[in-house]
Amino acid sequence: MADKKTEKTTATKTTQTVRKVRAIVRDLYQNAREAKEKGQPTAYTMTACQYDDILAAMDIVPVWTENYAGLSAAKRDAERFIVKAEADGYSNVICGYVRVGIGFDALRKEVGGIPENSPDGGMVMPDMMLGCGAACDPRFKWYQALGRYMQVPTFSFDVVWPRVDTDLDEVRDYYVKYQMEQYRGLVEFIEAHTEKKFDPERLWEVIRISDATWYKWWEIDQLRKAVPSPMPTEDHYNAMVPAFYCSGTQMALDFYNDLYEEVKERADSKVGVIPDEKYRLLFGGGLPPWHTMWIFNYFESLGAVFVMENAYRLFDPVEVPSHIKDPLEYMAYRSFLRWTLRYDKAAERSKSATVERLLEYIDDYKIDGVVTHATKSCRATTVGQIDWLRRLNDYASIPTMQLISDIVDVRDYSEAQWKAQIEAFVEVVGAHKN
Amino acid sequence: MTKTGLKTLGLAGVEELYQNKGQRAKELAQEGRKVIGYFCCYVPLELFTALDIVPYRIHGGTTEPITEADAYLETIMCPFIRSAFDLALKNRYDFLDGLVIPHTCDTVERLYDIWTYYREPVYSHFINVPHMLHASSFEFFKKELETYRKSLEDFAGKKVSDEALTEAVKLHNENRALVRELYSFGKPDPPLAFRSEILKTMIVGLGLPVEDFNDLLRSVIQEIKDRNEGPEKKAARVLIYGSVVDEVGFVQLVEESGANVVMDDLSTGSRAFWEDVEVTPDPLDGISNRYLDKIHCPRTYRPQGETPEQDLENRFGHIYRFVKDFNANAVVLYVIRFCDTYELDAPDFIDYMDSKDVPVLYLEDEYSATTLGQLKTRVQAFLEMFD
Ligand code: SF4
Ligand code: SF4
Repeated sequence: MADKKTEKTTATKTTQTVRKVRAIVRDLYQNAREAKEKGQPTAYTMTACQYDDILAAMDIVPVWTENYAGLSAAKRDAERFIVKAEADGYSNVICGYVRVGIGFDALRKEVGGIPENSPDGGMVMPDMMLGCGAACDPRFKWYQALGRYMQVPTFSFDVVWPRVDTDLDEVRDYYVKYQMEQYRGLVEFIEAHTEKKFDPERLWEVIRISDATWYKWWEIDQLRKAVPSPMPTEDHYNAMVPAFYCSGTQMALDFYNDLYEEVKERADSKVGVIPDEKYRLLFGGGLPPWHTMWIFNYFESLGAVFVMENAYRLFDPVEVPSHIKDPLEYMAYRSFLRWTLRYDKAAERSKSATVERLLEYIDDYKIDGVVTHATKSCRATTVGQIDWLRRLNDYASIPTMQLISDIVDVRDYSEAQWKAQIEAFVEVVGAHKN
Repeated sequence: MTKTGLKTLGLAGVEELYQNKGQRAKELAQEGRKVIGYFCCYVPLELFTALDIVPYRIHGGTTEPITEADAYLETIMCPFIRSAFDLALKNRYDFLDGLVIPHTCDTVERLYDIWTYYREPVYSHFINVPHMLHASSFEFFKKELETYRKSLEDFAGKKVSDEALTEAVKLHNENRALVRELYSFGKPDPPLAFRSEILKTMIVGLGLPVEDFNDLLRSVIQEIKDRNEGPEKKAARVLIYGSVVDEVGFVQLVEESGANVVMDDLSTGSRAFWEDVEVTPDPLDGISNRYLDKIHCPRTYRPQGETPEQDLENRFGHIYRFVKDFNANAVVLYVIRFCDTYELDAPDFIDYMDSKDVPVLYLEDEYSATTLGQLKTRVQAFLEMFD
């Protein structure tokens, strides 16, 4: 593996502010290890469960296991974990992140501590594991499976939302109620397993900061409509870190304030990602190829910039009714609104909120082509891509392409093949545009 | 409720229905009955029955190459679902008036949007089945079923009373009792019926109105009781555990490899029928409780046990009880590739059975008749220990 580690996998960044992210990520794992030493509770956590505000308000230090797997992949040091998980009987078609995570903890058990030279120092042994049913089944099955390697109190809960064809007025109340009960269960679990006591006022404070953070981030993306693009997708995949992994902290809010200023200045003075922006692309879905992030620079060398993306982008701003006074109910309501955003539009047209989002971006960001990334093992973000691209073409005339690889397992990825596919696609985009 | 009318009963009837899957549902559709297709075992069938709707469990086809679905569904997902949708694209499910999909796993959930968009069924409904078993999960699931009941009533153009629903519960409990009786033929040594016969009966039953299915079951049970031939005694008594097995090829293969398959825990087999619905004053209480809690499937998260052993017991104890009750001495874990919930359970399941001294053969399959040869080699190798 040693020689692999020196391979460049990252992309050259455009904005200065996102360069701060690497240190933030490194601190994530370092801070968790230090917190544990000081006796502060730590938890294995998953993105998109929408419990971040509760964790922040109850001083639980999260360890984002999916992020850790992605990080290992980006550093090309995921293979030893994958190999271990597979040796222990886990199928090689299980989510790559999960295999990295399980492999890491399996090795930890085997060697009696964090495996040597683990990326960013490794994940601390958590005091609890908090899984959820949002987005994919491995999100709760993963931590359940870890029971064979570690005895850690584990809690899982549902994150529910209705389908597009549902009469929202009919179901809203009980969906929100269930979500609230799920959060309440989480709070009770944390109280039972730590010394922490739930304080609604504290949660409100955190909610205010996290809402402001996500709102500022959304404003940055509005700036990205500018031509030429002031901030490309490769920056986004760094910029998402504070919102995804440090939501509810002042640091995260400050980060987006800074980034906003920088992107605004670039947009105002029309400084683009590349000097001659010929084509504007949309990353239409799937996880980014962490193992090959420089591929975005390769597109740029052909005059194509990814100006926007539908990945690591969960929540547009929503307005929760002001009569709601319980912060857990607020969170539940917010979750419902977030998931059902664009349902009205979808009902009238494509029947898919994702497709509506893509169509909206195509218009607003003056998109010339759409690319998705099918990752063999993350079915959650892959299944449906062909369908989205088909539906897009029912309502817009635009070239599309699906790149295929894996998020972590690069054993059968071919750089030459990707480059050829990309060159051909950019030509199609060019022909279509002219 | 309409009277039944299968032309041929007994095992011959089963065979006829098996060779012409969907035939009976199509006939009923022609007679004016509404037929609704559904996936998995989480859709409460009682509501269909109470509204005189014919339920049809959607199946795939392992002998039919997937030719159309590739243009809609990624290849890295459950091949059973790809196969079923492929059949839909080939107009094989045009006789269905509607589609009901429960949130069983990610894949089925996603299929709902895709199927409804491209096939545009007259009626469609998605039931959100919680993954959790908290007190609030049961409350939520009951609400979801109330919503579903209203939607199905609108489609049927009539209301279903609690009395009618209770009657349907009783009728389905009768059906479950008959299934358990049929399954009891696996207990003696040698068993009184081949698993392929039993599973075939189940598979065709999944496409029949419950009255027909009950008639069929009674006739099959009687025939097996009355006959003299049956499987021979064999050292290996296997339980097959897995998700969907909607064709008998694989089970036959295990039987031909020298084992008696004495029990199954499959979503197309015992799992969908084993537990009764309790008759409760509000029938939806009994129904929601049974469908959420009493179906044991890895898609449902069983709260963490106090100890690792307890946790495994909560998740897999019911299968070991089957092993004991049916006197099985080996388990074949049959998983359809890309099925996350089973694949993530597999090592724990094997450990658990190991702790009980029950050997497990773990097979990950492509859901295609073309792989049967490979499976056979592995099954034979596994069964060698019983030689
Ligand atoms: S399948 Fe995708 S969304 Fe689910 S845990 Fe894996 S990486 Fe995350
Ligand atoms: S076999 Fe697995 S992945 Fe396929 S539909 Fe069933 S539970 Fe879902």
